[in-house]
Amino acid sequence: MDSLFTAAVAGLSAGGAYAILGVCAIFTYRLVAVVNFTGAAIGAAGTFAMVALFELGVPLLPAVLLGIAAGAAAGIAIGLVMTTWFAGSSASTKAAVTAALLVGIIAVGLRLTGGQHPHYFPEIIPGSAFRLAGVEVTWAAVTTLALSIAFTLLTEQFLARTRTGLQLRALSQRPMAAELIGIRVRLLALGVWAVTGGVTAFALMIIAPLRSPDFSSLSLLVVPALAAALIGAFSSFRAALIGGLMIGLLEGSVSAIGAVSQYRGAVPFLVILAVLLWSQRGARWDEAR
Amino acid sequence: MTILSIGALQVDRAGIPVIRGVDLEAKGGEISVLLGSNGAGKTTFLESLSGIIPARAGFITLDGTALVKLRPGARAKAGLSHVEQGRTVFPAMTTEENLKVALHPDADLKEAYDLFPELLQRRTVEAGMLSGGEQQMVVIARSIVNRPRVILIDEMSSGLAPVIVSRLMRAVRQLADDGMAVVLVEQFAALALAIGNRAYVLRRGQIVYDGDCAALARDPGHLHRLYLGDAAA
Ligand SMILES: Nc1ncnc2c1ncn2[C@@H]1O[C@H](COP(=O)(O)OP(=O)(O)OP(=O)(O)O)[C@@H](O)[C@H]1O
Ligand SMILES: [Mg+2]
Repeated sequence: MDSLFTAAVAGLSAGGAYAILGVCAIFTYRLVAVVNFTGAAIGAAGTFAMVALFELGVPLLPAVLLGIAAGAAAGIAIGLVMTTWFAGSSASTKAAVTAALLVGIIAVGLRLTGGQHPHYFPEIIPGSAFRLAGVEVTWAAVTTLALSIAFTLLTEQFLARTRTGLQLRALSQRPMAAELIGIRVRLLALGVWAVTGGVTAFALMIIAPLRSPDFSSLSLLVVPALAAALIGAFSSFRAALIGGLMIGLLEGSVSAIGAVSQYRGAVPFLVILAVLLWSQRGARWDEAR
Repeated sequence: MTILSIGALQVDRAGIPVIRGVDLEAKGGEISVLLGSNGAGKTTFLESLSGIIPARAGFITLDGTALVKLRPGARAKAGLSHVEQGRTVFPAMTTEENLKVALHPDADLKEAYDLFPELLQRRTVEAGMLSGGEQQMVVIARSIVNRPRVILIDEMSSGLAPVIVSRLMRAVRQLADDGMAVVLVEQFAALALAIGNRAYVLRRGQIVYDGDCAALARDPGHLHRLYLGDAAA
């Protein structure tokens, strides 16, 4: 039992990162109408930029800031592809494009980062914060948790209270009407891509040392991210926050149970399956009648 | 004075010519009424003016500025505004948010509420919850908050009760009286001709009548033949 609790707490920092990624996924979906499979890969690009700079001798803080900037730049690059060639495409086409881009980015990313060759991932937030019922809680866990909550609330407030937030909501509800009244839709869309790219990069930097930190594993964190977004029905930031944290805790717990610990990676998949089946129940009920 | 000037405009849709050489001038203080049967190309014409779809050939100038190559946002900044078909409010935003969203820092909502005082008491209601007439008022008010030079209005009356339609018509007349150039596309020809100055009839992408609104209003038979073309002649 004790080890289960330990493991669950260990899953918390991953959960915080999933929550942030999930909120970013909803942000991208709601505001630029793209189900984005490249979210985590964009963040991974920023994370590996940070690692490369660090390995070259750049001090940690500037390396982290430059890594975040690299994540934002990668986000803008994907955003440019989407707004230039696929602005008028259907939601499913856009999702398929990002899935294809993901495959491409992973291939290039693995090549550039030396495949599975290990890199040294500095713990950007090291050490233990406090002990809870005998279990050590790390600063990384506290930070991702706090960051995920702050990011969720800030996102909500930003959309509700600022002029740019208002314009983003208009853009998400009626892109053409927004453009016709002079809202700078392309600039705003690229801003969304940049912000989610930078934030994701930072979230991944915190949890990368806890993972098998190769480019493709980090990029595939898009699966728990989309699971969290799905729990929020791609609309509620708070539900995605809670969903992301729950997936992290669940993964942590599963890894402590000997018989199934090897399958902890399947947790997000099972969550996605469960949410989709749950959301289909009404439809199948109707069909059955 | 001519504000919006369009010459030899050609627009394709899915590779098929829909607007086939249209000339039109919209003057400040006047309502130019554009009539035509379903599928004549009225919406396509307005959409090419505001930049939603590109023109294949021809020119569009606003106070002498060429618009043809500009994106919709830049045309809006140049002073052109477009009330699209279908009451395009931002449904999950309140009335006031709908009006404020594109407001220039140096403009305010006074003129919007002067035009439609009835919106004042609906300020905090989500636009998606408003009646059809109120939604149309929000869209028209939203389109004038930055004092455009030209306003294009596409079938604002469709699906609305007659009393609401005449309320909207009065507001549009007021906009023209304040100096704007109005291009009004309407199904209800009689009502539009009653408030309009100059009338154009579009048939299969070409102007087949260009003249006085009053003259056309007095002769409904003529209008009918213009709509139907050679088949009725
Ligand atoms: N998205 C589109 N793709 C291809 N063709 C189109 C498209 N929209 C309209 N058309 C065609 O262009 C022509 C003009 O359509 P348009 O909507 O401009 O006419 P309209 O005069 O506004 O008609 P209505 O009175 O029904 O609103 C029609 O023949 C129509 O079939
Ligand atoms: Mg039309």
